[in-house]
Amino acid sequence: MAKVRLIKRNVPALLLIYLAAAIVFLVSVFPFFWMLSTSLKLPEDTFTSIPKLIPPQFTLENYRRAFNDTLLSRYFLNSIYVASVVTLACIILSAFAAYGFSRFRFPGRKFGLMFILCIQMLPSVVVIIPLFIVMRNFGLLNNHASLLVSYPTFTLPLCVWMLKGFFDGIPRELEEVALIDGCSIASAFFRVILPITLPGIAASGIYAFIGAWNEFLFAMTFLNSNQLYTMPVGLNAFFGQFTVEWNQLMAASVFFTIPSLVFFMLVRKYLAQGMVAGAIKG
Amino acid sequence: MEPQVRIADLQRSSAPAFWVALKKNRVAYAFVLPALIVVGIVIIYPLFEVVITSFQRYNLLEVLTKGSSYIGLSNYVEILKDPEFWHSLWITTIFTAACVSLTIGAGLAIALLLNLEFPGYKVLSVAILLPWVMPRVASSILWKWIYDDQFGILNYLLSLLGFEDMSTFAWLAHSSSALWAVIIVVVWQSFPFIAVTLLAALQSISIEIYEAAKIDGASPWQRLRFITLPLLRNILGVLTVISTIWDFKAFDQMWVMTEGGPAGGTIILGIHTWMNAFAYLRMGRASALAVIMLLLVSAVTLIYLKLFNRGEE
Repeated sequence: MAKVRLIKRNVPALLLIYLAAAIVFLVSVFPFFWMLSTSLKLPEDTFTSIPKLIPPQFTLENYRRAFNDTLLSRYFLNSIYVASVVTLACIILSAFAAYGFSRFRFPGRKFGLMFILCIQMLPSVVVIIPLFIVMRNFGLLNNHASLLVSYPTFTLPLCVWMLKGFFDGIPRELEEVALIDGCSIASAFFRVILPITLPGIAASGIYAFIGAWNEFLFAMTFLNSNQLYTMPVGLNAFFGQFTVEWNQLMAASVFFTIPSLVFFMLVRKYLAQGMVAGAIKG
Repeated sequence: MEPQVRIADLQRSSAPAFWVALKKNRVAYAFVLPALIVVGIVIIYPLFEVVITSFQRYNLLEVLTKGSSYIGLSNYVEILKDPEFWHSLWITTIFTAACVSLTIGAGLAIALLLNLEFPGYKVLSVAILLPWVMPRVASSILWKWIYDDQFGILNYLLSLLGFEDMSTFAWLAHSSSALWAVIIVVVWQSFPFIAVTLLAALQSISIEIYEAAKIDGASPWQRLRFITLPLLRNILGVLTVISTIWDFKAFDQMWVMTEGGPAGGTIILGIHTWMNAFAYLRMGRASALAVIMLLLVSAVTLIYLKLFNRGEE
């Protein structure tokens, strides 16, 4: 651990550091604070020539109206549904695949891994055109199934690489003992390995969930009825109305951000894994 | 398990090598194949299809009545002759270059700052994650509010700093300022990942190297220039390439904030392609654009794989 220690008495240096830290802190946190503040403000306190940092009068009216006057709760349920199904499917597929890649050496292993890595690089716009045509032919447009089919394109690669990292960290001796005791490979996987990797599986599942929760492009392209919109598409559609209700929109955005925030904080310590797929070691 | 496989292997030694390999590794393939098949269906098939469509005249409105027809390279020729394409490529280049350099620069600076471990650095290291956590659409909406010409807090802050004439400036209504406004949002959302990753790399550098350098009389600047940066070279390379790909793909922020406007001033390739497909319904033309995007991304990905495999060895 390289810790560049400060000379404690070097006051100018320390001041400079705190100045820099304060700027970074404000830039990171202030927009979020502003969103929260606007969402808790009355409209008459919002549209003033001198902005009021802290609401003079706190109100939950914007949240109430966002829920009652719009389809926000509908969007929320749609998002939960799509993200949950995608996460579940993704965890199952990627746990098997990651275990296979971690434990076996077989022809095509390296190719398979690199292939999955490359898929993460594909712009959604490239695959969305043919997927749209396919969905149209199968009558899946304006149906959540179109999202369930297309979201694994970006959640699977991430999960496979993340979970492979977790499996790599488990000593092989564990399965060897199980195999000697007469377990089959499959039961060794389910009874011995899977329980130990549960935290890793939860972490990668949460990543898949956040990914699906945030996804905008596919949802905007494939869905066109208000009732089916997911959160991002629904929120963006607020702009279609002739006046923008900023207070309500900020309340909805806070509501949209919170699940992502909570989940993210849960898996914070795993974030290096998978995202750069082991490149950190290099 | 190993011995059994070898017996099976011996018994079938006359079978073609492919089947031997398949049988020998059947357990491994059983684990790996379901995911690969799903990916193959949802990725490889569309890629194949997009290449085919790019050689066709395929209009979404006409396809039911007239069908589609092969027109060879016409879509590509038209694209290369289209000034809008070159304009979009130019905007994409500025956008990507600016996002990548600002993100890496800010990320590196903040990683170095956090590595100082001043009292309170832990609070800061959690605080910087906020921008990353926000859903892209939520942060785009939020920044639209911040950039608002009449009631936006940005213009108010600028007027406090003495830029009185900026107090009602509509950031997203002028093509050049709109591009930079979106660049700032993208950088704001992507610097935390870079900072966190670089910080992890910084903390894996052993302290002895610095102490040795200190004894030899190296200044802090020399230590940064001749020890830290060279040791970070690999990871910086990987992060630069990844960021290039990510920013090249960026779509959401731009769409929510500007939809490619005003007057095409922020029309990055992703939006140009999407509009061709789903606003003008020219699927053939859009597919050709998608193939061009694919080629550009592939070139960058090859560099990434090279760096990545070097890191693995």
